[in-house]
Amino acid sequence: MKDLAELAVEMALRMGADYAEARFHDDISNAYVLRNGVPEMAGFERARGMGIRVLVGGSLGFASLNRPDKALLERRVREAISMARASARMRKEPIRFSEEPVEEARWEVKAKEPLGDVPIEEKMALLYDVDKALTSQEEVRAQVPFRLLQLVETETERYFVNSEGTKIWCSVPRVMFFALITVLEPEKGTEQDMVQKGESKGWEAVRAWSLPEHMVERARAIGHVLREGVSPPKGALDIVLGSNVVGLMVHESCGHPYEADRILGREAAQAGESFVKPDMLGQRIGAEIVTVVDDPTIEGSYGYYLYDDEGVRARRRFLIKDGVINEFLHNRETGAALGVGSNGAARASRFNREPIVRMANTFMLPGDHSFEELVEDVRLGIYIKTYGEWNIDDRRYNMRFVGRECYLIERGELKGPVRRPVLEITTPGFYGSIDAIGKELSFDAGTCGKGDPPQGVPVWFGGPDVRLRNVPLGGS
Amino acid sequence: MELHELCELALKEAQALGADEVAAAAIRSTSRQVRFANNEVTASKTWDELCLNVLLAKDKKVVLTSLLNVEPDAVRSALKDLMSLLAVMKERPDYAPLPEGPFEYVDIPGLYDDELASLSEKAIDLVEEAVNSALEAGGRRIAGTLAFGEEEALLMTSRAVEAGGKRTWAELVVRALADGEASGMGVTCGTRLRDLDPSSAGEEAGRFAKLSMRASKLGPGRYDVVLGRPAGAVFFDIVAGMASAFYVDSGLSCLAGKLGEKIASDVLTVHDDPHLEGALGSRPFDDEGLPTRKKPIIEAGVLKTYLHNSITAKRHGTSSTGNAGWVVPRPWNVVVEPGDMSDEELISEVKKGIFVNNMTYVRFQDYARGDFSTVIRDGVFLIEDGELKEGVRGLRLSDNVLNMLSSVKALSKDIRQVHHWWMEWDTPAVFTPLVLIERVGFTVPTK
Repeated sequence: MKDLAELAVEMALRMGADYAEARFHDDISNAYVLRNGVPEMAGFERARGMGIRVLVGGSLGFASLNRPDKALLERRVREAISMARASARMRKEPIRFSEEPVEEARWEVKAKEPLGDVPIEEKMALLYDVDKALTSQEEVRAQVPFRLLQLVETETERYFVNSEGTKIWCSVPRVMFFALITVLEPEKGTEQDMVQKGESKGWEAVRAWSLPEHMVERARAIGHVLREGVSPPKGALDIVLGSNVVGLMVHESCGHPYEADRILGREAAQAGESFVKPDMLGQRIGAEIVTVVDDPTIEGSYGYYLYDDEGVRARRRFLIKDGVINEFLHNRETGAALGVGSNGAARASRFNREPIVRMANTFMLPGDHSFEELVEDVRLGIYIKTYGEWNIDDRRYNMRFVGRECYLIERGELKGPVRRPVLEITTPGFYGSIDAIGKELSFDAGTCGKGDPPQGVPVWFGGPDVRLRNVPLGGS
Repeated sequence: MELHELCELALKEAQALGADEVAAAAIRSTSRQVRFANNEVTASKTWDELCLNVLLAKDKKVVLTSLLNVEPDAVRSALKDLMSLLAVMKERPDYAPLPEGPFEYVDIPGLYDDELASLSEKAIDLVEEAVNSALEAGGRRIAGTLAFGEEEALLMTSRAVEAGGKRTWAELVVRALADGEASGMGVTCGTRLRDLDPSSAGEEAGRFAKLSMRASKLGPGRYDVVLGRPAGAVFFDIVAGMASAFYVDSGLSCLAGKLGEKIASDVLTVHDDPHLEGALGSRPFDDEGLPTRKKPIIEAGVLKTYLHNSITAKRHGTSSTGNAGWVVPRPWNVVVEPGDMSDEELISEVKKGIFVNNMTYVRFQDYARGDFSTVIRDGVFLIEDGELKEGVRGLRLSDNVLNMLSSVKALSKDIRQVHHWWMEWDTPAVFTPLVLIERVGFTVPTK
């Protein structure tokens, strides 16, 4: 079917396309789910197919198929072109793609322990071990009546070819662990925790996660919050945010609003637009110590890639630099529209999805404070180590994060747990309140959703711990 | 390869490999989409897919596969891999066999429409109609999606089930923006071309966007709320999703342990009805081949049933409700039974409150308790003395599913079919009126 990718591009040009690309995928995904100790699901997906994209008279057409059938391919390419032509009357400005270097490259992630070499028994045994650890009262010191555990391993092989001569082949294994646990204290009710881990590696990554120990630690902390957590103090406080919270906050309030397709309105009907406008480049959005980047090229990261799904070479993007809005995320369409070119942010989750502007690994760069230094001159505050409920409006301006594992800070010392502090803050309010940044950088994995039909792509988000000054907690 | 050949291949090969039970579902589909934004078409798409899903069981162990590579050799190889996986799995204590067929199925009219199946480039006309209508009503930048398609599906099981059918579907979502924050939304959907009303969807989106332009701030607190249909669809998508026994047993539902209890106000009755004409979720059989049927999920405020497949039913000591998913049981068409007031009469009941047309980005602090918050948009208005006034900005709805169910005061009499992008629990369609709920919590950012 790989040969058909090149044929598809030829066909499209012959039928009148100004530009054509074809992306062939051969994807494998194996999933194992343990629910309360019962093997709820084990299974796999095998997907092989091709997505074709054409530019015709300034309109964009896309078609996909999963059968290696030349006649069918010709029909679908023809349809992509005819639909694009028919929609040209509803375009004021033609869609253009930015000029990018023609590339020929092969890149791959080689697993130290290939996923196929690890017996399935071992994979299931790991989930049983996690479940056993979570049900050990001695270890957790609380009941965990609901435990939904999922392990997913994927391997994607992709071949991209376009009418300009770019040809990119890649192969990437990924592993992902997800858990939703419900911790119960009879007198206090329940509190839940969600954990996700993911890397572009083989089984060696899963081993390094030490999942049974990690999950016990999380459950024990939530149990402690349930048993002893007090209501957060009122009034304006200093807040130390853990890396886990900072990571998601920069993903939501910097990564998404700097996606140029949102800025230009292309996602308006679904995920939404952005409070950021093209002329805001160079404007101050936060404290000078704040720099946020998105970088697909971190080896082993969950969002790792070296060429994007338009065949553009990936690089680190400085979204906020020294507190100033510095750069947006672009694919070739938005890169042309704003006259800056692509910076390699086009991603497609599967063969049957169009590549759109996405994040990869978004994080705040670390500063120079140890955790003790962040806490030591806080007179009254809280430390929000992990988050639970969160959301942000469709302009990415008004956000809310409810703490899960949180502690009181009094006179520079970490005290007992605090239950459910609500940080409800605007985006400039957040970046403008940061006065110190920790020096330890860490990441969490997520599956970022966007597009219609929805596309979940693997990402990391991260950062150091940071300190906010003088922020009143929200909530009712 | 035809659907029948594909299912037969899977059944025969799997049985030859030693599986006790096999279910094979083959689906051939062609789907299309026209996306638009800023009054322009941004992309048109076509998907052509032939997919085979297989469930194998042996010695009380169950494994699944979903194949988008359906070459006969690839299918054979996948089945062998599946048997190897089965060999190392552990028994399920709650194992239940697939239902023994054959069954008789009802004939649901209006599931397939030739006119919709052959729509192709005429789809652009419908988009243009919706965009123009939204612009005329006061929207300035119009975005949305027209998605439509056809599929033919066949399910065969080793327990004498052979069930299939063709269906078409279409959904047009229009979002109008009038300035940076003023927005409105309209939805029209169904299984036939004549179910679509692009003008009305566009008009509603444009009108709400225009009405939202004049806006004020409102402080946090509790207000009576009227949920518009897109918001009602999001709320009842969650409620029906939480009735799925899989979620009940996973800590993902605040309906756990509440069967037979009063969980909502007397005025609220919610059915799952898979036999509605023109409805996106209508189907005569579920994924295990059992005939589907209408059932109350909530009746006069009482939680009547969870939604089951054979395995969850066994676990709960009951019988399947005909809602299989092989892993997760799911609702088909969720119908919120109407009240007796017109939309205007319902709004006129509110002295001071908020109209919320759409809810997005619903996230839970604790699914088991039902604590959540959501971003409200696409027409959020102050209601004063029974009338919609200016738009309200900056508020977030923060409450609890059970509190809100108990506080439903009234429903309007006009129910409409809704499906849109923010229905994240995947109910195919919710039929909902306007819903009046008392004393719902709202919060605002503090900095």
